[in-house]
Amino acid sequence: MLKLAARSVGRNAQRSALTAAAMVIGLALLIFSRSLAEGAHEQWITSAIRIGSGHVAIQAPEYLESGKLEHRIGAVGHERALRAVESVSGDQVLAHTPRLSVDGLASSAASALPIRIEGVDPEQERAFSDLDEKVEDGRYLEPGDRLHAYVGVELARRLGLKVGTRFVLTAQSAAGDVEGQLVRVVGIFRTSIPEMDQGLIHIPIETAREWLGTPDAVTTVAVLLATSRDTDRVVSELRDALAGASDLRVLGWRQAAPELDSALRMDDYGDYVFHSILFAIVALAILNAVMMSVLGRRREFGLLQALGLTGAQTGWVVFGEGLFLTAVSGVVGMVLGFLFTWGFFRNGLDFSGLAESESAWASAGGMVDPVIVPIFHSSQVLLSLYFILIIGTLASIYPAMRASKLDVAEAMKFDR
Amino acid sequence: MSTLNARPLAVRTEEVCKTYPQDPNPVQAVRGVSLEIESGDFVAMAGPSGSGKTTMLNLLGGLTRPTSGRIWIGGDEITDMPDPALARLRLERIGFVFQAYNLLPVLSALENAEFTLLLRGVPSAERHRKVRELFEQMGMDGLEDRFPGKLSGGQQQRVAVARAVVGEPALVLADEPTANLDSVASAALLDVMERLNREHGTTFVFSTHDPRVMERARRLITLVDGEISEDVLRNRVPA
Repeated sequence: MLKLAARSVGRNAQRSALTAAAMVIGLALLIFSRSLAEGAHEQWITSAIRIGSGHVAIQAPEYLESGKLEHRIGAVGHERALRAVESVSGDQVLAHTPRLSVDGLASSAASALPIRIEGVDPEQERAFSDLDEKVEDGRYLEPGDRLHAYVGVELARRLGLKVGTRFVLTAQSAAGDVEGQLVRVVGIFRTSIPEMDQGLIHIPIETAREWLGTPDAVTTVAVLLATSRDTDRVVSELRDALAGASDLRVLGWRQAAPELDSALRMDDYGDYVFHSILFAIVALAILNAVMMSVLGRRREFGLLQALGLTGAQTGWVVFGEGLFLTAVSGVVGMVLGFLFTWGFFRNGLDFSGLAESESAWASAGGMVDPVIVPIFHSSQVLLSLYFILIIGTLASIYPAMRASKLDVAEAMKFDR
Repeated sequence: MSTLNARPLAVRTEEVCKTYPQDPNPVQAVRGVSLEIESGDFVAMAGPSGSGKTTMLNLLGGLTRPTSGRIWIGGDEITDMPDPALARLRLERIGFVFQAYNLLPVLSALENAEFTLLLRGVPSAERHRKVRELFEQMGMDGLEDRFPGKLSGGQQQRVAVARAVVGEPALVLADEPTANLDSVASAALLDVMERLNREHGTTFVFSTHDPRVMERARRLITLVDGEISEDVLRNRVPA
């Protein structure tokens, strides 16, 4: 039966090629688009979490909701958090950095604007964030800097700031008083994310601690991982390690950056719709090709039954053909999809021509590089293959049932 | 109705009717045919187009069910036999030769000929031996590996006959087997079938328009409008 099915596939080369082409192209497209979407998502996540609170954030339990300085981590908690981060198994943790963040006001002679002030360790921040690479003028913070600030280009424009200009930061201190701090612009950055360029300032963490009256405190220990896929595992490990620490809360990036999570879920939803349409097209193409083959070969199937095959056995032959075609096409499609994506786009696919301005690539708190590097996950490639196999199998059932219920005498077109 | 009791019966029908539902008027293809065919006979069913010859062969082969009446093959009633059992009976006891497009195009001549043996689970070596012997007897040796598309019409029909008889069925039903053959190929095919009938005692029942086939038949049943109009014994050999 298998031989018969395989030979039928081979003999009806045009039909088989058409069906196979639908599956091969469908699967190849699927793998290409999945790996590209995966690459874009990873880039998106990495970009956003580098500037934001990391793949994993360790904070005081109430800080995420309040964002207030009173919900900070003290020296003991900070030390405990660092030990926990350093105890994470494997080499998934690429970097970690302490941050002391507070909402405040930036004022100059020209204007005053609400801003997010982040006290950072310049050295650790360099390893963690890529904000230091976005210098438009001046330089990033360096160890030893004291009353210096690294500001966004839009904030600088609105406040009339230049490198070397002094301006005042105002925020509520730990004691509840409004405190001011004079700082000097050491560098101006441009991320193309309007919210960042207009509303973020980095100052040395020691300056922030002293100014806000929170010696040794941090509001977040941000942890950067090699890949976002390790987030859940690392979160779980850290939660275990910090199980007894009621003053610390471990958050994955989905919790810590819910707007990014929402944006990705929306994007995922779009992908699902696209892939569902793709699957439906592939399924219809397969169903059509297998159906045509059955309708066009009624006499052949009639002959099989006249020779002694039961209806069920004839159905199995048709089903076997569909299965054989699907399996071969699925494997070929998978290989082609992989080779096509890897062969042409392993260094990334440049979409920069699609947007008029750089800011169009900024989204959900992150800056997306217009060159997207596809990412392959064997589980996703295999999942696509399984889907194609399932569709091929399902699409073969109906034609097989039709063949099994054939009226033999009618199919043989005997004279009456 | 003709009754011959010298040999066991290969086929028996009793008041068989077959009506095809068709608007506005159903088609009565076979009307109350009662028939007995002895084992080892060489029978031709003749008649004009639409006389019911092919429907009779379909009924005898269990490819279609009678509207009324009863049918026995070698003593087993097939009238209401379940489909799987009928398929088994066709596989083991009936061989078919059709007018055209008789072979499975994806199989070689040898594979086509051995197909029913394969379905019966006969080991490969034995299948090949039997087919090669038959091919030799039929002048087909050397053509085993050719696919149907590379065989002439006569050669294809001989492969079909080989497939029909290789499993030594009790009955071979052949629907206009020479219809698409020239006179030389027809004669050669009939020679083969006659020899198989003679040497193996296989019962052959043909439907035919071809006077050359009718001439060779030892019994000629003529159908008109689904009824037997004439049943003539000829060329009889002693039992």
